[in-house]
Amino acid sequence: MSEIWVLIDTTADGTIRNITYEVLTAAVKLKEKNSATVAAVFLGESAGSIEGDLGKYGADKVYKIENPALKDFNPSAYATAFSEVIKKHNPDIILGGNTLQNQDFLPRVSALTSGGLVLDAVDVDISASSTLAVKRYRYSGKSISGMTFHDVKPMIATIRPNTFKAAESAGAGEVVQESAEIPAQDNIRILETKLVPKDRPELTEADKIVSGGRGVASTENFELIFNIADSIGAGAGASRAAVDSGFVPYEMQVGQTGKVVAPNLYIAVGISGSVQHYAGMGSSKVIVAINKDPDAPIFQKCDYGICGDLFEVLPALTEEFKKLS
Amino acid sequence: MKIVVLVRQTPDTEAQITANSSGNGIDETGIKWILNPFDEFAVEEAVQIKENTGAEVIILGIGPERALETIRTALAMGGDSAIHIKDENFGDTDSYATAKLIAAKIKAIGDVDLILAGKKWIDEESGQVPIQVAAELNIPQATIATKVDIDEAAKSIKVQSEIEGGQRIIELTFPALVTTERGINEPRYASLPGIMKAKKKPLEEVTVDAINLEELGLTAENLGVAGSRYKVDNIDIPVINRSLNVLKGGNSDMVEAGEVQAAAENLTKLLREEAKII
Repeated sequence: MSEIWVLIDTTADGTIRNITYEVLTAAVKLKEKNSATVAAVFLGESAGSIEGDLGKYGADKVYKIENPALKDFNPSAYATAFSEVIKKHNPDIILGGNTLQNQDFLPRVSALTSGGLVLDAVDVDISASSTLAVKRYRYSGKSISGMTFHDVKPMIATIRPNTFKAAESAGAGEVVQESAEIPAQDNIRILETKLVPKDRPELTEADKIVSGGRGVASTENFELIFNIADSIGAGAGASRAAVDSGFVPYEMQVGQTGKVVAPNLYIAVGISGSVQHYAGMGSSKVIVAINKDPDAPIFQKCDYGICGDLFEVLPALTEEFKKLS
Repeated sequence: MKIVVLVRQTPDTEAQITANSSGNGIDETGIKWILNPFDEFAVEEAVQIKENTGAEVIILGIGPERALETIRTALAMGGDSAIHIKDENFGDTDSYATAKLIAAKIKAIGDVDLILAGKKWIDEESGQVPIQVAAELNIPQATIATKVDIDEAAKSIKVQSEIEGGQRIIELTFPALVTTERGINEPRYASLPGIMKAKKKPLEEVTVDAINLEELGLTAENLGVAGSRYKVDNIDIPVINRSLNVLKGGNSDMVEAGEVQAAAENLTKLLREEAKII
């Protein structure tokens, strides 16, 4: 029987990240169309007893590929190990979260298994010809394309975080232990890994984001952005203008040449709303704009807004948000 | 040392995208084309390495006739020579087939130590092709590089990269592939003398139809639609359909100081009760 695989994504301490359950939910949706078996796949040093949680979200099987060589993420080793197990079981479809790690090694898996790969899908379905069909944004948020796989195996796709809402669905969670030969990696050495504890959620996964633009006017004033973000547990972003002005670092940039985000709530503060910024956040569920310019393009692309001075509005709004919790 | 830089031509970031008449490509009317912004960092890094070590820098691009302009931009920034694989039906070829062709061409160039490319193409919103090239060539990769350090004698490169929740430093032995992130350098502008000189630099132009497949170890099955794993069915332009409920002031568009508190309360209520988002 054909299988749909879901890559398990864990944090550094081994906890299963929510994106895994979101992707499992997408897999269960496909299963309802093609009666496949849904299997979650662990790649790493040691999985622990994860099958119970995965079974709750629809995993009929849990493949564990455990190997000391998979302790630190190495794209060559991960791709080699995963491809070997793929060739053994020949799954039709493989889904994973659109995480940096999956973006880094799944292209290698595609080449090693002669499979196809589409990144950052916002919908998945079974096509009329029984292959995988996906929808994804192209030209950042400016267009959305329907794409269909040809008759190839495996058909691999990553799914944008916050796209599917994780839903429980009973699965047996039967454990299948797998092993893979991983040749010594002589040509790639990981010298140093530095995890920087973050005060706020990662932009690409955040449920809510508050971003500041040129109107925020200085590095110091970004404290206002951080304060309101913290009042609702949001990530903090910025427009290209704010980054180019040197207020905040590039890693905070949202837009076509920065991060592409899709939170449930996006609050744009002092951001005019250029084409390239909207391309990076236009698929957010609810967009709120705070800007003193009534003619700012953002006011034609938002759900709610206040036309006012951000230095007056933000402190008042932060206080109101704080009252909610 | 021999470096190949992969370059891609993309629409300008401010370009408005509309679908063409066939519905599965974009209407190119009025589009301003640029060198993919992340590829600029790759070209700049290659040229800086050349300035420090005397490396040879070869620019490699696939795309229709118009992509030559982008390749010339990379030459004007300091590339030594260029290869343009001309493919007017580039849009029908997926990342898998594109990578196979690029990898085969790099193999044919021979003795390439380092391949540089941007971390993603801003049109496809994907960085998968360079990685697929690395896998086809069976060489290691480090992606999203913010700093690189080359050891010529040891034939290796240290790469500082962004990972989930932090950074890491990876050392790769040549041949290797590195993709570049913004911040790794400040790309130079192509100067006027640079642009003049670029026109005289060696340029190999070959159309996909006329390419010597045998020499590249490929067959017609590897190219275009036949070699692709998926196809684009359609392009839709998301319609911006938002409620535009903007709170304004009593006397002017702007909420005045005395009205701010009420506006803040009102917005919070809307987000909580109507949008049910906080």
